[in-house]
Amino acid sequence: MSVLTKLSRSETKIDFVGNKRRWFTISAILIVISLAGFGIRQLNLGIEFEGGLALVSPNPAAADVADVRGALEAVGVSGATVQEIGDGESFRVTTGVLDQEAEREAVAALADVTGSDPGEVSISAVGPSFGALVLQRSLLALGVFLGVVVLFISWRLEFKMAMAGIAALFHDLIITLGIYSLTGFEVTPATVVAILTILGYSLYDTVVVFDKVEELVEEDDKNAYSDIVNNAMNSVLGRSLNTSLTSLLPIGSILFVGSFVLGASTLTEFALALFVGVAAGTYSSIFLAAPILATWKETEEEWMERADRSARRTKSRR
Amino acid sequence: MTRRLVGLAIVFLVSWGGLAAAILTDTTPRLGLDLQGGTAVVLTAPDGTDPELLEVATQIMVSRIEDFGAVQEPEITISGDDTVVVQLPGVEDEQRAIDAVGQTGLLSFRPVLGSVAGSVGPLAGEDQPNLDPETGLTIEDDITAESAWLLYQDPGVTNQVLELGAAVLQGEHVSQALPVFDPNSAVWAVTLDLTGEGADLFAELTAEAASFPIGDPRRQIAIVLDGEVITAPGVNPSVSPDTGITGGTAQITMGRTEDDQQQAQDLALTLRYGSLPVAFEISSVTKVSGTLGADSLQSGIVAGLVGLGLVALFLLLVYRALGVVAIFGLTVFGTLLIALFGALGKLQGLTLTLAGVTGIIVAIGITADSYIVYFERIKEKLRQGLAPVDAVEEAFKPAFRTILTADTVSLLGAVLLWALAVGAVKGFALSLGLATVLDIFIARTYTRRAVRAMAETRLAEGGSFTIKGAAV
Repeated sequence: MSVLTKLSRSETKIDFVGNKRRWFTISAILIVISLAGFGIRQLNLGIEFEGGLALVSPNPAAADVADVRGALEAVGVSGATVQEIGDGESFRVTTGVLDQEAEREAVAALADVTGSDPGEVSISAVGPSFGALVLQRSLLALGVFLGVVVLFISWRLEFKMAMAGIAALFHDLIITLGIYSLTGFEVTPATVVAILTILGYSLYDTVVVFDKVEELVEEDDKNAYSDIVNNAMNSVLGRSLNTSLTSLLPIGSILFVGSFVLGASTLTEFALALFVGVAAGTYSSIFLAAPILATWKETEEEWMERADRSARRTKSRR
Repeated sequence: MTRRLVGLAIVFLVSWGGLAAAILTDTTPRLGLDLQGGTAVVLTAPDGTDPELLEVATQIMVSRIEDFGAVQEPEITISGDDTVVVQLPGVEDEQRAIDAVGQTGLLSFRPVLGSVAGSVGPLAGEDQPNLDPETGLTIEDDITAESAWLLYQDPGVTNQVLELGAAVLQGEHVSQALPVFDPNSAVWAVTLDLTGEGADLFAELTAEAASFPIGDPRRQIAIVLDGEVITAPGVNPSVSPDTGITGGTAQITMGRTEDDQQQAQDLALTLRYGSLPVAFEISSVTKVSGTLGADSLQSGIVAGLVGLGLVALFLLLVYRALGVVAIFGLTVFGTLLIALFGALGKLQGLTLTLAGVTGIIVAIGITADSYIVYFERIKEKLRQGLAPVDAVEEAFKPAFRTILTADTVSLLGAVLLWALAVGAVKGFALSLGLATVLDIFIARTYTRRAVRAMAETRLAEGGSFTIKGAAV
């Protein structure tokens, strides 16, 4: 029977909890790489957070947005925001912070492509837009959200499940941020949104998985917790993978199409972060949250006893 | 069976009809600044303005603009030392937005020291600093000046030139401002609630004014907004010169016309958020293109559609006949969502930005998942040996419970984010929240019926493209 068929019939028998050391190691490596990323390269904050430069230039040569962007990228200024003013009579370009040399090159490139004189290009420093405010408020909302979620899951399912879910969440968060620092993608308010998306996803996925565990626990009165969790995981594995696919397909498609279109870098970066984040979210619900939960639960007396009894039964059967 | 089909037909009619209605009435979603561009207003502050004041001013502007209802998710940046650039996505009533943004909103209550009928002040012809020699009016109003000459134009009454004293109360003494319609006199007005200190000052001001006889201009109190006298009512004859008007409320009458209604609402808004600490001048108003660029939008749409197509294919492959139910359900979901966004765009000025689109993509994933949760349960029941009709019935309750739990978590997150966050994140929260609610609604009304209906047809079993076929 092929793996796919087994998955489809939920007949896989993977020992998730037993192999937890393997999963924990993988996660630990990923986390270490991400944290190392922070050390090596700081997060590349976008203009909304750090501020930068605004260049305004008349456009006698009637260049279009793509031309201007191309000209800027040719001198190494990427990720700039290019806006046409009026009916193309002038352009407004906002870039991140540039040093003197880079600034001069950017001005020259802009003047060149728009057919104007470098002296006609006005330069002004741009303060951060309320990107910092967006971040602050989002963090606040996130904090409150986590608190409420812990309460809700504790009520609906169980406290230990809530905490295991949150642990998986942080794991996904660190990995996603690690991606951003290692690749040097720009962090913009849209990034904040992408991260929230990933978190929401991870949590949603974890809840569905734990719901199954809870269901099996209620029906079962002799098996060890680890075994129950394993059964639950194996039965939802098919579902979990299918769900990730239905989300990854649209995102992957955007990634694919975006990478072939010039100037759609914002979209590509966004899609990549989402892709990695959603994949991480799926992985962490099954391979991380569940084993953590099982290990933790088996420190409880009742479950310790059941685990012993189950082990003895297995031994005596051999 | 027929009843069930009728139910389904109604669902399709509502959703696709809603979309058609939306397209016909041009209530399609408004695109945000990043996708569509809009209007950029450049405001210049007077020389030597403290940069901290610029920050405060921008924060006030953000609140004002969002509450105006006409614009959501504006982008405001401080440029250089004295310029603020406000970008408003796809604004319809530009003038109103500009007014909201640019109006300083410096409010002052001042005693009237004297008045002259007509439009020309008694000091006309004299050469004095800050005085226009032709009209005898003060050029730049300073609310702390001992004397200022301002024109008061009350429609229906001849113009007056008033001499005003220094301000006794200012905007900061106003704790709340609301537009009201007095049905008795059929007049629009703005009621002000004053702070404790404000109430005392107001009592003093009105007591002083009440000491003058009726008809004497010094019995009037002038309410001035940004150098313009809005109204200068005389203190009511019943007010005692010993106490003045106590109680800490005041009312500014605007008028009876629709214009006055708008003015009342705008004024209340301006006062509520406080006056801008900087008196800006509007330097320019121009259209700007989207920050993401049309090429990004196009590729995004193409990619999104391709992705959806792949999802549909995938569902058909894995769940066979059930996949058809899911695909139809997703179209219902999509059309309702578009219609909702269009309606909100028209009513609330909601715009769809890249963040909003992300919210929708997530929502599609969550919705598809609801189907998957249910379908997997059905497979489970089928494998236990139940007939398709029974399998779909028994699978629904536990599946719906799971869906509800997980969707509630999403919804909680969306509500919290929406309430607490600002800007792009708020848009995302709204998309996510709406989509989640729709998902629960669809799961409850459509999915169960559709699957049940299918279970009673030939597509239930007897081949690989059937409900049972998916469980093999």
